[in-house]
Amino acid sequence: MTPPVTIDALPRPAAAAVPLTTMPVGAVATLHEVTDVASRPVLRSLGLTDDCVLRLCQAGDPCIVQVRATRIGLSSAVARCLYVVPEAGSR
Amino acid sequence: MVPAVETPDRAPASTAAPVRRIALIGNPNTGKTTLFNALCGVRAKTSNFPGTTTSMRTGHAEAPGHGALDVLDLPGVYDLEIDAPESRIAATLLEGARGPVPDAVVVIVDACNLARNLVLVGQLLARRVRLVLALNMVDLAERRGLAVNAVHLEARLGVPVVSMVARTGRGMAALREALDRVHLTTPGPGPDGPGTAAGVNQWADAIAAAVSSETASTRAHDRFTERLDGVLTHPVFGLAAFIAIMGTLFWILFALATVPMDLIEATFAEVGTLVERLLPEGPVRDLVAQGIVGGIAGTVVFLPQICLLFFLITLLEDTGYLARAAFVMDRWLSRFGLPGHAFVPLLTAHACALPGIMSTRLIPDLRDRLTTILVAPFMSCSARLPVYVLLTTLLFADRPGLAGLAFAGCYLLGALAALFTAKLFGSTILKGRAKPMILELPSYKTPSLRNALLTARDQGLSFLSTAGTVIVAICIVMWWLSAYPKVDAPPEAARLRAAAEAPALPNAQAAALLAEAAALEVKTAQAGSFAGRIGHTLAPAFEPLGFDWQLTVGVLTSFLAREVFVSTMSVLAAGQAATDVDEGVVAKIRGMTRDDGRPVFTPATAASALVFFVLAMQCLPTLTVTRKETGGLKYAALQLGYMSGLAYVASFLLYQGLRAAGVA
Repeated sequence: MTPPVTIDALPRPAAAAVPLTTMPVGAVATLHEVTDVASRPVLRSLGLTDDCVLRLCQAGDPCIVQVRATRIGLSSAVARCLYVVPEAGSR
Repeated sequence: MVPAVETPDRAPASTAAPVRRIALIGNPNTGKTTLFNALCGVRAKTSNFPGTTTSMRTGHAEAPGHGALDVLDLPGVYDLEIDAPESRIAATLLEGARGPVPDAVVVIVDACNLARNLVLVGQLLARRVRLVLALNMVDLAERRGLAVNAVHLEARLGVPVVSMVARTGRGMAALREALDRVHLTTPGPGPDGPGTAAGVNQWADAIAAAVSSETASTRAHDRFTERLDGVLTHPVFGLAAFIAIMGTLFWILFALATVPMDLIEATFAEVGTLVERLLPEGPVRDLVAQGIVGGIAGTVVFLPQICLLFFLITLLEDTGYLARAAFVMDRWLSRFGLPGHAFVPLLTAHACALPGIMSTRLIPDLRDRLTTILVAPFMSCSARLPVYVLLTTLLFADRPGLAGLAFAGCYLLGALAALFTAKLFGSTILKGRAKPMILELPSYKTPSLRNALLTARDQGLSFLSTAGTVIVAICIVMWWLSAYPKVDAPPEAARLRAAAEAPALPNAQAAALLAEAAALEVKTAQAGSFAGRIGHTLAPAFEPLGFDWQLTVGVLTSFLAREVFVSTMSVLAAGQAATDVDEGVVAKIRGMTRDDGRPVFTPATAASALVFFVLAMQCLPTLTVTRKETGGLKYAALQLGYMSGLAYVASFLLYQGLRAAGVA
């Protein structure tokens, strides 16, 4: 069983990166880092790879993001571990 | 380069003959099952991958003018390289570790989601398998203004590409032609690209951009989907929609399944009667009429619920709703270590634990699935209803309000026991928490009736061929234990029969005497049977729960199925088996006495028995299905031991507590 990963124990994301959960609905951003190591393979297989462009479709639980044509539902626990760099002027 | 994968050591099963063995692979929600059904129709069966709990479907496809195909439907995978059961199964199968290497692989690609689906295509090309790409749902893509140039895609990938709509059959002929010639090709060298996962993604993006009229943009809005998702995953509206949709589903299940179930029971009762008329009296007649026919009836009777449930769930899954519902329930169930997906099995278990446990196949994570299987039988199934009715009526005679509350309390107690157990197992034998939900939310679609019908048929046949055969055998053994050894009728019964034959006796009195004699004979036979003797032997163990030997026999015989408790008690009370709890049966059971003359059912005993039946694993068919679904005896034994132990302790505490409080 993979031990739970706490955010504090992981490397700090780049300064420009913000948690996905702080973005406004409709905003477009580039995925910078996933701090939940256990979720990385599944996210990657769904298309949430490093530097992919995503759009926040729905905030809360579930948080819904769109990557290309794929809509992905994330529980809030996972969404909190996604750090993104918002596109300039994006909403 | 994409991570290099050596060409399999084993050559494909056939190189010159027409394709014989093909594997279907694709991302979830790409229409893979629809394509399988379109190819194989009813010539398919469902089983588990050897040594796993992941189900697979195999089928045979034939079409005029084309070679015959053995088709293997692999589990839906996004990525062959990640550490997930489905990915491991698919990867090892392609490498030939689970039987012969397929002659060709059909990868099903969602035309609306080309770039993401091409990641899997890239991984397959890197493995140098003979590949045909089925570009599915092109109609949906066209409606969205997204055109994919199949000719360009074929040129870029170097493998046959067939545009199709599996749901309507469009493109099926072209797919069969492609399969006829693919075995003549040499597997390609694989796509060029960086050797990282991100590199495959970039490669897929580049190919998709080159062959699509309009690249699926992250910025594109689908307002209909977004609005519907907003409602269906909303904490309040989503829950209301969930209750309405699932309520309708279970209403249909209860309302419609009853008709064929009653018909099956009536038909087998007729068959049993016919056998009794045709065969000479003796053990062979009893075995055939009561043991075999009764055993088959006890198995087949589950079939309508299982088929109807899978039919309805498949329809619902096809619409895309189930993924949304999983998120709605995840908020509640995750607190107890259960995944959001568990809602279907747990709700289904209220009808019957068997289809409930079978529907845990929807749960992707093994730990989550095992936890759900272990707790599902705590849900109060329909077989418990007559037991609840009998015991609550005995407990609160002439107080229907309290009886109703106790009845509702049984459902609540079962659900609480399930949640408590999930939490307990999550911190002990199945350590860990339910995986946080990460799910693709598929597009909303019109469901395929054909798909749902074929899935229901497959699941029904799968149940009959695996669990069903064991259940029939168990039914026969339990019948034998209850019917043998034969014991002589008591002298009192002979005396009553002789008295009934007195010429001066009115017919009504004679009939009453004969009925009393029959009751006495049945009761003596029951007490003298192996089950009765075991009941006598085990009675001391159940005495702390307030049970005497008769209640112990009721517990033992109902191990086959809970509802048998009512008929056993009615036999012991009146000599006639009854499955419906009417006033006469309740009055007779209430009048039952122990060997020392005290009543069998005091309020404390009835309450203790009620709690026992809520919590105990009194269902052998469920254990059989648990063993099958978990791939071994370990979890079935754990389920039996834990549930029986919990039931015993809870009943003991309640009975002794009531006694201490002065309740007899």
